[in-house]
Amino acid sequence: MRPVFFIAINLNLLLQIKQIIFYFDDYNLFICIQNYTIMNKFQLLLLFIGFNLFAQKQVPNLNLANLEGKSISLQSDFAEKDKLYIFSFWATWCTPCISELDELNDLQEEWKKAINFEIVAVSTDDSRTQKRVKPLINGKGWEFNVLLDTNQDFKRAMSIVNIPYTIVVKNGLIVHIQNGYVPGNEKELFEKLKTL
Amino acid sequence: MKNRIIALMVFYAIGVNAQEVVPKEKLNFYGGFESNSQWYLNDKPLGVDHPETPLRSNDYLFLNLKYKKWTTGIQVESYDDAALLNYNPRYDKTDVATYFVQYKNEKIDLTAGYFYEQFGSGLLYRSWEDRALGINNALRGGRVIFKPTSYFTLKGIYGRQRTGFDISQGEVYGVDTEIVLSELFQFKTTELSFGLTYVGREEAITAIANPKYNSLTNGFAGRIDFNHKAFYLSSEYNIKSRDAIVEVKEQISHDFIKPGSALLLNMGYSKKGFGVDGTFRRLENMGFFSERDAKGNAYNDRIMNFVPSLTKQHHYNLANIYVYQAQPNVLLADETLLKAGEIGGQLDVFYNFKKQTLLGGKYGTKVALNLSNWHTLGGKFYLPKKDYDTDFLGFGKKYFSDYNIEITKKLSPKWQTVFTYINQYYNKKLVEETFGVVKTNILGAEATYKFTDSKSIRVLGEHMWADYDKKNWSASTIEFNLNSKYSFFASDMYNYGNDEVDMRNHYYNLGGAFRHKSTRIALNYGRQRGGLVCVGGVCRFVPESSGVSLSLNTTF
Repeated sequence: MRPVFFIAINLNLLLQIKQIIFYFDDYNLFICIQNYTIMNKFQLLLLFIGFNLFAQKQVPNLNLANLEGKSISLQSDFAEKDKLYIFSFWATWCTPCISELDELNDLQEEWKKAINFEIVAVSTDDSRTQKRVKPLINGKGWEFNVLLDTNQDFKRAMSIVNIPYTIVVKNGLIVHIQNGYVPGNEKELFEKLKTL
Repeated sequence: MKNRIIALMVFYAIGVNAQEVVPKEKLNFYGGFESNSQWYLNDKPLGVDHPETPLRSNDYLFLNLKYKKWTTGIQVESYDDAALLNYNPRYDKTDVATYFVQYKNEKIDLTAGYFYEQFGSGLLYRSWEDRALGINNALRGGRVIFKPTSYFTLKGIYGRQRTGFDISQGEVYGVDTEIVLSELFQFKTTELSFGLTYVGREEAITAIANPKYNSLTNGFAGRIDFNHKAFYLSSEYNIKSRDAIVEVKEQISHDFIKPGSALLLNMGYSKKGFGVDGTFRRLENMGFFSERDAKGNAYNDRIMNFVPSLTKQHHYNLANIYVYQAQPNVLLADETLLKAGEIGGQLDVFYNFKKQTLLGGKYGTKVALNLSNWHTLGGKFYLPKKDYDTDFLGFGKKYFSDYNIEITKKLSPKWQTVFTYINQYYNKKLVEETFGVVKTNILGAEATYKFTDSKSIRVLGEHMWADYDKKNWSASTIEFNLNSKYSFFASDMYNYGNDEVDMRNHYYNLGGAFRHKSTRIALNYGRQRGGLVCVGGVCRFVPESSGVSLSLNTTF
């Protein structure tokens, strides 16, 4: 394990925690939270979480509606063997999300020459803005599959705090996560996809 | 309580440990951690003193375990030493917040414990979590979802709502059915579905003897969704049975008893490069809480339905100073302040000028136009007797309007620009129940320049002309993305036009963020403008403050 990044923050956090230590390299993330009152058990638990990071995670067992109102299963409808499914979480009011999807839309034809993949734009819009999804997608001319996560079940199951947020799924397992987007991330994503 | 936490954690530890003896793909452990901490500082020029507890933190740990068709989860929350400013005081210290056990196969989905659910658009019932707003109204009880065929779904819920680390007094019952006729009759190019909802809220009336209304309040709704090629239409109608009105927080008017209703109508047409969408909504007395006297509380605590403002959610700082909030409630204060709900609509147009055309240029031009307009319900209002008769299509005084256009233009592979113009009308007196009307014009421009594939800069400038209240503002933001891991920003909002010279404050902020895979850490120093923080059309009031904030989120 190569220690690449290490920070210690002294803050009065969860469970009167006195210290949090982050440790991660390319393969692991350890969060070590020290608590002087109930330290042992909590630390033990987080250690288990740390070890568990080696394991690949399954896609949650959820059904979401697509734009035509059809119920789509995350597990059984995205199950082509060895195909990469890029689930990109976005919303109509999220500018960086729209920039990312604009870029991906422009690039996907070219990428498809090299990799077998499919982009699924997961709209986290609630009923305030959900009706804007369809005209926006058509207005933009995006060619993605779109799922509506209206009550944010998928987002919650993935513990997503901020969007844009991208997960890559292969054979039902989550093989890559990208939290956030800045211009240029799409190139990095493409390089990553080639290795998955 | 600590024992409970430890017990649950040990349970998880065992669960995680067990992974070594069963095949990996069968036992799945996942979760997330989020922490938002703030160190409040004194800021003499701004005129704010830090609160008594200056170091505060909101933290959420969410753990799940999945085995075959079974999933179980727990969320522990901590607000220590206290929750961030103006969060619900019921969020206090550390405790188990939610937990659940779920069994799900193709036909049946059973949940016991805390769950989130939404019927239709949520105008009668929605439970959801929004940590930025401090909303978590998950229901604690049970839920059954039965889907015997692909075209029929039946849901039943029962429970009591979460409030802080406790649960509310009121009981909630609900049934929702949906039938997809187009699948039943195998239509090729048309989608058609119907839904019916019932929601009941039972809260004992103990304040008075022989009340003139029932302890059980019933809500019924019907909805239709229709889609044919490029055209779509949906509508929903909700009614709520007679119930005592709460005009002022915590004061139930036992003699002012009215029913409520909501009508939502949406239609649109879209094809490649063009989209138009229109929404009409009429709300009358649709505030719905699991405890009657919770209505009007500042934290959206014990709220049962989702009544978002149907306006565009702008990403410009200055366009979020005068934000409309939906007006489902009744208030008959005096002849000039009479509210029984709202009526109005919103229109969106999206158009993409193709590449290689006159207006499209080399890379195309995208235009988004949005118009919204909201009024009080018109009708007859009786004071001081307290009663009203509304007209179905009666438009009363104007609450709010927002007319805006956004043009996105890619100038070259390196340059991307966005121009925005926004015109707003905000009737502060009617919306906030205070004084005055504010009319604003806002201009915004932003440009992103890519130095290399991963290095970019984004510059944003805004100006707002306002004729009342705090008057003119200017604002700017610079964001520098060093590479895919690090980014930095600096921003300032300057209220230079304020009539009171010593209120002409700068609200500056600077910060940076680090991202790696599923982890994001952000550090920020600066001033928070007092006012509404809104997410998805629901708002939370925050006071002015100054300080350092650290936020972190990760998943595992």
